[in-house]
Amino acid sequence: MTTLLDRRFHFVTGKGGVGKTTITSALALSLAARDKRVLICGCNAKERFSALFEAPPLGHDVTLVAENVWATNIDPGRAMEEYGQMILKSRTVSRAVFDNRYVRSFFRATPGLYEWAMLGKAWFHAVEPSPDGTPPFDAVIVDAPATGHGLDMLRVPKVIVDVVPPGILRRDAERAWEMFRDERQTGVVIVTLPEDMPVNETLELSEAMTGELGLHVSNVVVNGMIPPLFSAPERASLLAPRALDERTRGGVAVAAGARRALRETIQAEALAKLGKHLSSPKVYVPLYFGGVNGLAEVREIARRLS
Amino acid sequence: MSLAPLLESRRVVLCVGSGGVGKTTTAAALGLAAAMQGKRVLCLTIDPAKRLANSLGLEAMTSEAQVVDPARFAEAGLAVGGSLTVMMLDTKRTFDELVRTYASSPEARDRILGNKLYQYVSTSLAGTHEYMAMEKLHAVKREGKYDLILLDTPPTANALDFLDAPERLVSALDSAAMRWFIEVFQESGSLSFNLLAKTAAVVLKGIGKLTGGGFLQQVAEFVTQLNDLFGGFKERAAEVARSLRAPDVAFVLVTSPAPMAIQEVLFFAERLREQGMPQDAVVVNRVNQPPRSPTDALAAREEAARLALGLDDDGPDRLVQASHDEGKLAELDRRNLAPLAAALGELSARPLRVDVPALPYDVHDLASLAEVARHLAS
Repeated sequence: MTTLLDRRFHFVTGKGGVGKTTITSALALSLAARDKRVLICGCNAKERFSALFEAPPLGHDVTLVAENVWATNIDPGRAMEEYGQMILKSRTVSRAVFDNRYVRSFFRATPGLYEWAMLGKAWFHAVEPSPDGTPPFDAVIVDAPATGHGLDMLRVPKVIVDVVPPGILRRDAERAWEMFRDERQTGVVIVTLPEDMPVNETLELSEAMTGELGLHVSNVVVNGMIPPLFSAPERASLLAPRALDERTRGGVAVAAGARRALRETIQAEALAKLGKHLSSPKVYVPLYFGGVNGLAEVREIARRLS
Repeated sequence: MSLAPLLESRRVVLCVGSGGVGKTTTAAALGLAAAMQGKRVLCLTIDPAKRLANSLGLEAMTSEAQVVDPARFAEAGLAVGGSLTVMMLDTKRTFDELVRTYASSPEARDRILGNKLYQYVSTSLAGTHEYMAMEKLHAVKREGKYDLILLDTPPTANALDFLDAPERLVSALDSAAMRWFIEVFQESGSLSFNLLAKTAAVVLKGIGKLTGGGFLQQVAEFVTQLNDLFGGFKERAAEVARSLRAPDVAFVLVTSPAPMAIQEVLFFAERLREQGMPQDAVVVNRVNQPPRSPTDALAAREEAARLALGLDDDGPDRLVQASHDEGKLAELDRRNLAPLAAALGELSARPLRVDVPALPYDVHDLASLAEVARHLAS
C-alpha cells in the first residue's frame, strides 16, 4: 500500500463486524513504523483500541498508545464545546451557549451535528498547526461507523456546504470537504470479509463513496482470509452430494473437510466478484484462528499492510 | 432452549444488537418459524439482504407489504400454515405521512414538506430512522392484520439509540424549547433583543457566529412550521414510546461471538434492566461448533478411500487440519462467550439463550433460513 503512506487522512469503514478496529490499529502501526506520527480517532463507540494496544481504557483525551501512535475516542459533546470555545474565544460566552438547556436538546437532535463534531475534530487534528507551524500528526485515521452510518457521517460536511449560509461553520466544512475530496490527501479504506454479503455491501459502499460523494477509495482490505487447504478439484470432490456421518473419527475429518471446501469455494467466488467489479488495490489479511487479542497479532497484520 | 414460547405469547418481537450480527436473518428466521406455527406474520425490515429477499420471491423491495408466495414454501418442502409478509421501512415516507396526518391545514402541510431543511431532517434527524421504525410498528400493530410483528431494528452504532429515539425526538421538539426559539425571533426574522433575557441574546449571537446569520432564522422558521404539528405529534410519540413497553412486546438481543458485539449486548441488557424492560432472549449467531470427536490421519485416510474422494496424497492430513481449525474457532468462540454466560447467569429473570451454529455459507435461501428457524424455535 505505497500510496497509503502519503495520505494524511484515512477513513476506515465497512460492514459491521468485519474488523474495522483491528485494521485501523494495524494501519496506524504500519504508518508509525515509517516514522509517521499517527492519530487514531474512534467515533464514540465502545472502544477496543486499549485491548488491542494493551493500553489503559481510552477516553476523549488524546493518549499515546504505542510508539508514534496516539488515540482518542471522540466524545461529540465535548468536541462541540471545544470547537465553540475556539471560535467564540470566550469561555463565558461559550459556557452560556453550551450550558443552555434548550440549546443542548437542540444540538442533541440536530441532524448530523454530532457526526460533524467528530469528523470535524478528526479533520482538525490533521490540519491544526503546532506552534512551529507543522501539523502535530502526519496521519489521522478515523475508525468510522459501519456502512450506512459511515456514509451519513461523510455526507454531513457536504450538507453543511449546501444548506448553511457563509460563516465559520460553513468555512470549516468547506475546507474539510476539500481535503476529503483530494485523493492525494484523503483515502477511504473499506474493510470486508471474503463472503457473499460483505462483498456485495462493499461494492455498494464503494459506489456510493465514489459516485455520490466523489471520494477516493484508496484500499479494500479483505480481512479473515481462510488459508485454502484444498485444490479446486479436491473441493469439487468434497462438495459432491453425500450424507456426512460424523459418528466416526474418519467421518469427522471428511465432514470438516467438506465444510472447509464450501467456505473456500465461497471465498474464491467472493474474491473473484470483488476483483471483477472493484479496481481499488486490495490487501488480504488472514483469519486468526485464535483471535486478534493484542499487540502481537496487530503488529503482524501491520506488516501485511505495508 | 427454544424461542417458540415467545413467538406463541407475544405480538411484537424486536431484534436488537450491533451491526453485522445477523439481526435481519434472525428476524426472518423467527418469522418463518412463527408462520410455520400457523401465525400471520409481518417482518418489518430496514435493510433486507438482497439474495434472501430474492429467494423469497420479493424481487423489488418496496415499502408496500408483500406476501411471500406459499408456493415458495411448498417448493422448499416447508409446511407453512400461516403467512409471511415482508415490508421495508421507508423513513422519509413514514415521516411524510405523519406530517400529512398532523398538519392543521393543507397550506401548513405543504410549507413543511416543501421546506429545504425538512428534506434533510426527514431522513437524518438524530433518531429519525429509529423513531419512524417504531412509528410504523405502532401503526401496523393497531391495524390488527397480523398475529406477530417482527422488527429488525436499524443498524445503530449504539443499540441504545433505538430505545431513546422517541424521547430524543420529543425533547428536541419539546414545546418549551420551541417556544423559546420562536420567541427569540420575531416575525420579521430579525433578532428582537427587547424580548430576550441577556443570556439568550449572548447564546444566539454565539451560535450565529458559528453558523452565519441567516441560518438561525431559517431554522426558526422551520421550527415554527413544525410547531403546527407538534401537539398531535408529541402525543403520538409518547404513545409509541408506551407501546414499546407493553407486555406483549419481546426483546431479542442478537449478538455474534465477537467481543465487541457481546460487550454491546451486555450493555444493552443492562440498560433494559435499568428501565424495567424485559430481556426476553439472547440469540448468539454463527457459533462455531467443536468437532464431535477427535480425529486422526489414519481414520481420515480410510474414510477418504471408502468415499473415493480422490484427494492428493496429503489430502487426509488436510482433512484433519480442517477439523483442527474448526476446533480452534470453537474454542475462540467459547472463550469470547464466557462473559456473556457469566453475566446472564447473574440475572434473576434469566433470558432464554439460543446459540445458532455457524453455517459455512450466508443464509441466502429458504432452506438455510428454515435451518436457522429450526435452531431458534424447534
